[in-house]
Amino acid sequence: MPSSESPLSYLATSGLQLSLGPFLVRVRSDLAGVREYLERLYADFPLSRAEGGHFDVAVIASGGLRKWVRPQANLIVNGEHPFFPLPGHLAGAVFEWSLNWCVGNQAHRWVAVHAGVLERNGRTLILSGESGAGKSTLCAALALSGWRLFSDEFALIDPDSGRLTPLPRPIALKNASIEIIRARSRDVVFGREGVDIEGARFVHMKPPVESVRRARDDAAPAWVIAPRWVAARPTVLEPLPKARALLRLTDQSFNYNYLGAKGFECVAQLVRRSECYTLEYSDLDDVLTRLESLTAS
Amino acid sequence: MPRLDVAPDYTLLARVLRDPATLDGLSPEAFARTMDAAHRARLLGWLVEQVRVGHVPADSPDWLRDRLITADALVRGYERSVRWEIDRLSRAFHDTGQVWILLKGAGYIAAGLPPGAGRRLADIDILVPMRDLGAVERILEEHGWEFPEIDAYDNRYYREWMHELPPMVHRDRRSIVDVHHGILPQTSRLKPSSERLIAQATTLGTGVRVLCPAHMLLHAAAHLFHDGEIAGAIRDLVDLDQLLRWFGRDQAFWDDLRRETPALDLARPAYYALRYVGRWFGTPMPDDVVADMAAWAPPAPVGRLMDTLVDRAVMGNSARASSAAVFGLYVRSHWLKMPPLHVIRHLTRKALK
Repeated sequence: MPSSESPLSYLATSGLQLSLGPFLVRVRSDLAGVREYLERLYADFPLSRAEGGHFDVAVIASGGLRKWVRPQANLIVNGEHPFFPLPGHLAGAVFEWSLNWCVGNQAHRWVAVHAGVLERNGRTLILSGESGAGKSTLCAALALSGWRLFSDEFALIDPDSGRLTPLPRPIALKNASIEIIRARSRDVVFGREGVDIEGARFVHMKPPVESVRRARDDAAPAWVIAPRWVAARPTVLEPLPKARALLRLTDQSFNYNYLGAKGFECVAQLVRRSECYTLEYSDLDDVLTRLESLTAS
Repeated sequence: MPRLDVAPDYTLLARVLRDPATLDGLSPEAFARTMDAAHRARLLGWLVEQVRVGHVPADSPDWLRDRLITADALVRGYERSVRWEIDRLSRAFHDTGQVWILLKGAGYIAAGLPPGAGRRLADIDILVPMRDLGAVERILEEHGWEFPEIDAYDNRYYREWMHELPPMVHRDRRSIVDVHHGILPQTSRLKPSSERLIAQATTLGTGVRVLCPAHMLLHAAAHLFHDGEIAGAIRDLVDLDQLLRWFGRDQAFWDDLRRETPALDLARPAYYALRYVGRWFGTPMPDDVVADMAAWAPPAPVGRLMDTLVDRAVMGNSARASSAAVFGLYVRSHWLKMPPLHVIRHLTRKALK
């Protein structure tokens, strides 16, 4: 295959290598949906021919009749099959979910906590929220108003330095937040809208190019915020006791148990060094202003 | 478009298992493929041990170092979670006077044996006297283990034909305990005595009991060469090699093995175990043992067929090329443990499910 071609052409052969924050990912797929998804949402990322890396991801069409009748996408990650085959129209999202699986299960060099992370002036804001709390919506809104996106899924904490490592990737938006974020960003690229296996509408938003360009610049922890969207609620920002913040982050961690005492110490140190708050809100603009003044001080 | 090759590289893994020094010369990419295959074959703990003693490519890029840190954390976590389950079982049986013996992987971990290092277990196997099954069921239920709903056929399959209760799952931790009253199914043609296994079991410093060395080896042999789970052939063969190297340093072990093999009615599985670890890993064995075990060998045509089936099952593991061999061993394992009519009924039922 001539090297002048797009690295995407390796996708269906020896594999495409994506550089994602601290990770090198080999991707292979024979599904058009995956290629289309990568073309659209990963155009700003460093791409090359695969040579070996942290994760080896393959999203493969089922054979036989399944090629034509209700096609399926099978996922193989580092030789494991973490999910049952999923409908072929979800192929792009399957790739995205596979990365979540990789980082949650196969990246124990870092403590990985389920959280959105943004950075300003070298200091990070960690948004720790359960599914449905509006974490990704807030994360996307902040990423579109001057904050640098680290990740909308993972706070990656380096246990040696205590600093946060960026992992900018497309942001997954669900249901009503799709329209809310689309209205704020006329020039932002989105993936194809889909319906996941639980029946929720979803779409992936292309990450801002600046955050992708600076994907190797880590930053210190500064704020931990537990946001919750509540209809018609005025913005309320209240201090969160550090013990509660620690419990919350360890509860939301994918791998702190694998790291044993080191993992506990790492999260405890982060909480010690951060200001911790709970946040209830309904008005996105109002909350952006409040966070602006909180973090400017 | 040719289909993408996503099968684990068991050929490379087998090469590395035979000669761990091969790891030193691998490219980082090939080393990573070996790790993936090892993880899939439940041998990641073995591989991490090799890394700890220095078998790793000299020139490791950052990504490979990150992966080694991950692998190390994974295998420590696997072992820790098994130790925790053993601790919980000890607590459940504490002061009950109930006899219970850890089998297979959990036994290796409890006894600190090489095949236990960094081992990932799907379940914890314990052996109890058959007459105590009801009492054990009640003790475990009091401490949170319960039977998931299974259909009447499966329930009967376990209780009447097999050597175990249906798996019990802990309601909070989702950990699984398999309670056995024998090491082979009741319907099996070979009938190793559970009384003998229990009477000779070793009590560890922690008070936990495991099979004595010769019985541990014979159980591993019976599991691989007489039971159903051939998909793990490569892992099981490595277990046998590691156990023989570890216990075999003591001459008394070989004497015990020669006495206990016929006493437990496990001559054929023992023969296969010694033959195939020798063939695959060059495991050291005393000459007189090798000479004696010829008496346990099958007729020549059966031996030749087994050579082919086992080699393919080990090499191919789940790869498509050897699925006929794996299926052959699967049917064979059922043939050995059930009367013929049962085999046909059972396999038909499983195939239609």
